[in-house]
Amino acid sequence: MSERVIDVSALELEATDSRALLWWGNLSMMVIEGTMFAMLIGTYLYLRTANLDWPPPTVIKPDLTLPTVNLLIMFASCIPMLVADRAAKRGHATTVRVCFAIAVLAGIAILTIRSIVVANLGYKWSDHAYGSFVWTALGFHTMHTLAATGETALLLIYSLVRPVVKKNLLDFRCTAVYWYFIVLMWLPFYVIIYIAPFLGRKERF
Amino acid sequence: MTEEEQLDRTWGPGSGPFRWFAEVSHKHVGMRYIVTAFVFLIAGGIEAALMRWQLAKPENNFVSPDMYNQLFTMHGTTMMFLFAVPMMEGMAIYFVPLMIGTRDVAFPKLNVYGYFIYLFGGLFLYTMFFINAGPDAGWFSYVPLSGPQFAPGKRVDTWAQMITFTEMSGLVVAVEIIVTVFKMRAPGMSLNRIPLFVWSMLVISFMIIFAMPAVMLDSGFLALDRLISTHFFNRAEGGDPILYQHLFWFFGHPEVYIIFIPGLGFMSSILTTFTRRRIFGYPVMVASLVFTGFMGFGLWVHHMFATGLPQLGQSFFTVASMMIAIPTGVQIFCWIVTIWRGALRIRTPVLYVFGFFIVFIIGGLTGLFVASVPMDWQLHDTYFVVAHLHYVLIGGALFPLFGAFYYWFPKWSGRMYSEKLGTISFWLLLIGFNTAFFPMHILGLMGMPRRVYTYMPQLRWGSLNALATAGAAVIALSVLTMIINFRRSWKRGALAGPNPWGADTLEWSTPSPIPRYNFLRLPTVAGPNALWDAAPDQPHVVGVSTTTREVLVTRVLDAEPEHREELPTHSLWPFIVAVMTAIGLIGSIFYAWYFTIGLGITGAALIGWFLEEAVKHSRKDPPVEARA
Repeated sequence: MSERVIDVSALELEATDSRALLWWGNLSMMVIEGTMFAMLIGTYLYLRTANLDWPPPTVIKPDLTLPTVNLLIMFASCIPMLVADRAAKRGHATTVRVCFAIAVLAGIAILTIRSIVVANLGYKWSDHAYGSFVWTALGFHTMHTLAATGETALLLIYSLVRPVVKKNLLDFRCTAVYWYFIVLMWLPFYVIIYIAPFLGRKERF
Repeated sequence: MTEEEQLDRTWGPGSGPFRWFAEVSHKHVGMRYIVTAFVFLIAGGIEAALMRWQLAKPENNFVSPDMYNQLFTMHGTTMMFLFAVPMMEGMAIYFVPLMIGTRDVAFPKLNVYGYFIYLFGGLFLYTMFFINAGPDAGWFSYVPLSGPQFAPGKRVDTWAQMITFTEMSGLVVAVEIIVTVFKMRAPGMSLNRIPLFVWSMLVISFMIIFAMPAVMLDSGFLALDRLISTHFFNRAEGGDPILYQHLFWFFGHPEVYIIFIPGLGFMSSILTTFTRRRIFGYPVMVASLVFTGFMGFGLWVHHMFATGLPQLGQSFFTVASMMIAIPTGVQIFCWIVTIWRGALRIRTPVLYVFGFFIVFIIGGLTGLFVASVPMDWQLHDTYFVVAHLHYVLIGGALFPLFGAFYYWFPKWSGRMYSEKLGTISFWLLLIGFNTAFFPMHILGLMGMPRRVYTYMPQLRWGSLNALATAGAAVIALSVLTMIINFRRSWKRGALAGPNPWGADTLEWSTPSPIPRYNFLRLPTVAGPNALWDAAPDQPHVVGVSTTTREVLVTRVLDAEPEHREELPTHSLWPFIVAVMTAIGLIGSIFYAWYFTIGLGITGAALIGWFLEEAVKHSRKDPPVEARA
């Protein structure tokens, strides 16, 4: 037998880290959505330069309490996700379940506070371009938060009723990474929606 | 059971009446893209023919002005969104896994979803067109013409939603190609040994990822402005119509390169094979592709010179536009050297390569005209631009694409096409194309504007327009010749064997037509021209399961084996999720809440998609924790 071969049967079946195909798929999705968020911020900045009054004078300065509380919950929710991520790497499914349960509760809290904030904005998307932007940005991010919370809840319920296998560990880790992404993406929007209106109106010239 | 039979069963189709909808093989999905896009090419061609017929003589009343508006919008939209990009994506989905030596793409189920989303978007657009609700504001649907004030009805909403469909599909393919190329290459195919065709597809995939979100957002804003009265583009309420153009062309210019960079990939494949020489300057070629990809994002404003932008911006984008000639020139010179040093065999694909040289270079030269602001102001919105863009797109994409059809026809069908008919179709295309489009340069200089449904006889544009129409008829004849050639040869051509051209890339090591599992023995690679550089006893990979759809995953840079992964088999869920997405997107143009409904039902269907795979694995994979 002179045939030369490379035998790969000893290699691991399925990976749970950055070598896995799904990890790269998840990464690509975040790049796509990150581009989308970046374009939204570009839209804000473009419209800001195109208007003398931005936000328009009719927009009252936002109340910072609830949005800031929500931002803190978002950052705090990354801690159970980080623990779940580490636990999934080592194959500790029970820790993942507990952390995912906490994250789902955090997700529900975030979405509830977000709805209260949106309901009290004081202007509609159809009032002016500024309103259009704020409603679209809030809607777009809320949609993503909803999806991330739903995904976490689905994996939590699934892991309670079916045995967890190696492929699921990768699912857990990708969900955690996506969660960090959703939280991180909110930071620039928090600044331009809630902080920027306090930085003073643009100078008239 | 032999290894072949075992693999054939593992990678084989499902059963039952719906197996067509459940098929996930990359070759099937790729071929569906190619066939569907070809049908849309014919549709777009018929629209072009109707327009040419209308313009053949002054004051013609073959179609109404309103119909003419729909025709040019449908023609542009079809060719850009439903033909050119999906066609290149289909070629990528079909050939990339073969060229890098694996058995499928990274996410086969997602891949089918992308196809159905594209198909539904195209069918939706044409359904609306046939009930006289086709979009009529141009393929880029500028506001305010396309805004709620000047375009009531559902026409522009149809256009905006079609964009969402096709761009989602484009993004899906981009992710597939990037992950497949990065992680699934045959052992030994390090980054510096990837075929140039695969490089070109990788570059456009990255471009798609950064460009297409812009147009999705843009058409989304347009739909929101029209459907729920937001004011993104309404000057009176703080919006800005120019924002629409910025976002559109931030996508639109890269889009042109997304269409023509694959053409460069086809060129390199064909020339390597028919000169029997490795491409001259491989690293420079790759660098040029990547550089073109980057530069593509820095040129968009040259489509907007007539909008009154600051002078500095105009100068900057003029220079940037001129710079694109550098990487293109480098590649053309590399090809010329390759031909010079090689032993060129003239076959039909090579003729199309020469067609590319002639037509694309003329298009590139007129590009220098319109890239400079003073000329652009003179020529903007005239037939000169129509001539320029067709020279670039047909020269840069269609000629190489048709060459690629002839080149890979033996691989697809297992049979040879007729060289005689192939040569005839090439000359018909070259002559027809130049007859149709060269006069448009002159018409543009004479002042004929784009998108006019007729003109007065005393303007003296009649004879050149009649000539252009005659040219269009010759183009149609050329495409018809090609179809007849392929149709006859598919059953009756001479048997081709695995590698009739003596080509260098891995797809030619498989039998023609290709078996469902692609490679009986998973290959390894020893050089940039995989088959030519292979040692007589080039090793192959063993130890990948033949009873499940297992693939080898390798490292990004050096393609060393890393681990094995099991890919999903056929499934109906991608189709179901695509239907749910389509209900949401199409419904939302009639009733805004359908968007929310669509999100809900798509989400629900995605749970089914997840559970199917998860439950299957929970039955056979070992659990990670001991059961209590």
